[in-house]
Amino acid sequence: MARDGVVLDVAAVSKSFGALAALAAVSLAVREGEVFSVIGPNGAGKSTLFNVVCGLYAPTAGRVRFRGREIAGLPPEAINRLGVAKTFQITNVFPEISVGENVRVAAQSRSADSGRLPSLWRRPDVDMRVDELLGAFGLAGRRDELAENLSHGEQRYLEICLALATEPSLLLLDEPTAGMTPGETKDATQLIRRVTRARGLTLLLIEHDMSVVMGISDRIAVLHFGEKIAEGPPEAIRNDPKVIEAYLGPPEDEGPRARE
Amino acid sequence: MSSIVTGRALLVFAALAALPAVPGVPTYYLLLAFDALLFGAIAMSLDLLMGYTGLVSFGHAAFYGLGAYATAILMERGVLSLWACLGFSVLVVGAYALVVSYFATARRGIYFALLTLIFAEVVYTFFRYTQTFGGSDGIQGLPDAELWRGVPIDTPQRKYYLVLAYLAVAYAACRVLVTSHFGRVLVAIRENEDRARFLGYRVQRYKMGVCLISALLTGLAGAIYPMRSAFATPDLMLWTESGEFIISVMIGGLGTLAGPIVGGVFFTILRDKVSSYVDWYFIVIGVVLIAIVLFMPKGLLGFRRLLGFRQWRATG
Repeated sequence: MARDGVVLDVAAVSKSFGALAALAAVSLAVREGEVFSVIGPNGAGKSTLFNVVCGLYAPTAGRVRFRGREIAGLPPEAINRLGVAKTFQITNVFPEISVGENVRVAAQSRSADSGRLPSLWRRPDVDMRVDELLGAFGLAGRRDELAENLSHGEQRYLEICLALATEPSLLLLDEPTAGMTPGETKDATQLIRRVTRARGLTLLLIEHDMSVVMGISDRIAVLHFGEKIAEGPPEAIRNDPKVIEAYLGPPEDEGPRARE
Repeated sequence: MSSIVTGRALLVFAALAALPAVPGVPTYYLLLAFDALLFGAIAMSLDLLMGYTGLVSFGHAAFYGLGAYATAILMERGVLSLWACLGFSVLVVGAYALVVSYFATARRGIYFALLTLIFAEVVYTFFRYTQTFGGSDGIQGLPDAELWRGVPIDTPQRKYYLVLAYLAVAYAACRVLVTSHFGRVLVAIRENEDRARFLGYRVQRYKMGVCLISALLTGLAGAIYPMRSAFATPDLMLWTESGEFIISVMIGGLGTLAGPIVGGVFFTILRDKVSSYVDWYFIVIGVVLIAIVLFMPKGLLGFRRLLGFRQWRATG
């Protein structure tokens, strides 16, 4: 059913909110092991696309297949259990419990007892996986700190730890470097690439910061006003006149539009 | 850390078990202790919802009252076995709680509180305004229950040990529950329900599950009550009763289990003492509650924590 190596197949997906068409017949195919980025100016429909894939919204039209299986319209928890994990653009962790407990509750989601009666009294041992994840993101020393006391950058990493702890095969990152300084962004981008590669993950990344995606993406799709206007390797995207126009405005405009 | 808590809990239970052996403890105080510990046990059950899951039930009095009526109905018909009464109340309360928890957890936010309240008021109205189970008089004049044939739970001492045994078992069960896989998910739901869904958890199932467990524990406490009072009346199901459970949890400290037990004991004794002096005792209790909320926002045990005791919050 699935085309060769295609993990996520988004076919002609549309999503309207009342009269507003946030997505208009967008198609893309993410292959096993690649880093696929979706970029576009704010309001282009990137987050809507993500929310359709991860189950927050059901699409108005079109299909979403994950490893050959139709997932459009399934609830988020079902899609997560199939192996799709998502991070959030605005940090979305469990604020008043410790960093270690945050990752633990995510990690035990995949334990054998999860959803079964023995989970009422048993306590799965996921310490090793928690340690490993916290170590990978430099949070081992912050284990007993409440999540709300972490710095912004640390919270962004915890966000990724939570998603990875559910052992996905496809990771959706929604602007993972949002709010970071350029230096932090560079470090974070490299760290994300290293960790996901080590785990053999397929990555679907949303960004509006072009510099982040150019360095790590295998392929890039560009959304503009809910439509896909380009797709290809970073070099082709960088030089695509339609993309430049979408980001900078048409050449005959009085002055370029703000990139954001 | 958990072993420390267990050690301390054992000490407290040992002290409570020794209470009837203290020479010169009047019967009245043993029965007051019964009420206090029962109230504490109910507040602890409610804490599973309020403190751990972040759901406030305004209808726990219905679980309590139904448990009491289950016992009363059996005893009235000559079935005196403690175990039969407990079993029957589990069935009755469980069936009702299944319906309530399904609908109450189907929607988010304030609906849980409202739906638990509305269901409870329906149950109250049925018992109060129909004559099916004695109307406003309820079921009165019940005999003593039997632990097993020939061993009646008749003296105040035996009744006291009954409630103490129940509290010990319920406390141990709750402790295991909140440190389990399930308990951690409850805390995650309290902290951030949406994120829990994106980690693969069927949130409504967990909410239903904890609601059911909390209801059954409260129903079992209700089943024990007529074994001391010899009656079950609709007043047990009144919404003010639910309110007193909530107040006890808050006095003691949300999300601590032990705190709400202390809160329930404190509330029961305070009510008993103040009401023996003045009729308008609720005004006095209200002032005490306001003082606690203002000056000890984390409850009695939370206040102790400020004084340098080790944290034992489930989430730590």
